[in-house]
Amino acid sequence: MSGTAINVLYFAQVAELTQVRQESWPLQGPISGADWLAQLEQRYPQLAPTRRLKLAVNQFHVRPDSVIQPGDEVAVFEPVTGG
Amino acid sequence: MVIVQQHDFDSAALVAQLRERTAGKAGALVTFTGYVRDYAPDQATQSLFLEHYPGMCEREITEICDTALSRWDVAEVLAVHRYGELHLKDQIVFVAVASAHRGQAFLACEYVIDALKTRAPFWKRETLAGGDRFWVQQREADAEKTEQWNQP
Repeated sequence: MSGTAINVLYFAQVAELTQVRQESWPLQGPISGADWLAQLEQRYPQLAPTRRLKLAVNQFHVRPDSVIQPGDEVAVFEPVTGG
Repeated sequence: MVIVQQHDFDSAALVAQLRERTAGKAGALVTFTGYVRDYAPDQATQSLFLEHYPGMCEREITEICDTALSRWDVAEVLAVHRYGELHLKDQIVFVAVASAHRGQAFLACEYVIDALKTRAPFWKRETLAGGDRFWVQQREADAEKTEQWNQP
C-alpha cells in the first residue's frame, strides 16, 4: 500500500470522545504507533492519556513500537470487551 | 467455522450440524455459551450494545480457532459471536469443539473463549434500568487468563 495519508477508524468510547468514526489523516512517512498516539492526543486532548489505547494496523493488533506506514488502515480503541 | 452476526443463533442446531460433520471422528463435543447478565452490582442491566470492527472480528477469531486446531488434537472448532443491541439473558457467544477425546476438547474450548475475550474487537456498552449508559472495562483477570495460555 502507498499514499500520503492513513485511514483512521475510531471505535466505541474513543469514537464517542472524538465524535468522528473515520477520517483520513495526512502522513508523509513511517511513524511509530506511540509517536502517532502522541499526535492523536494533541488533536483530541479529550482522549488523554492515549497510552492506554490499543492500535490495530490493517486489522491486526500491534504494539505501540510498531511502525505505521502511509496507506495503512489504523484503528484506535479501548481494550476489547467481547465474549 | 466462524460466524459474526447480529441475529440470534440456534445452539442446538449448531451442535447437531457439528455432530454430523464430525460423526465417527469425534468422541467428545464441548460447548461454551455466553449470555447477557447483570454486570453492575447495584442496578439491573436493561440492555447491552455490542459494537464491533467488521472484518477484523472475523479475521481475529479465525486465527484463534486455527491456533486451537494446531495446538490440540481437535477435529473442528466453531465460534459464533453476535453484535448490536442485546437484552438480558440473550445469547452473545457460542464456542463448540469436537475432538476424539474430551481433554483436548475442553482445553481448546477454554482457550478459544479466553483468547476471544481479549483479542476479538468487540466493545460492550451497558444501559442500566435507570437509563445510565457506560462502556464496560476489560477485566484484568481476563487479560491475565489469556496471557497464561502463552506460557510454555
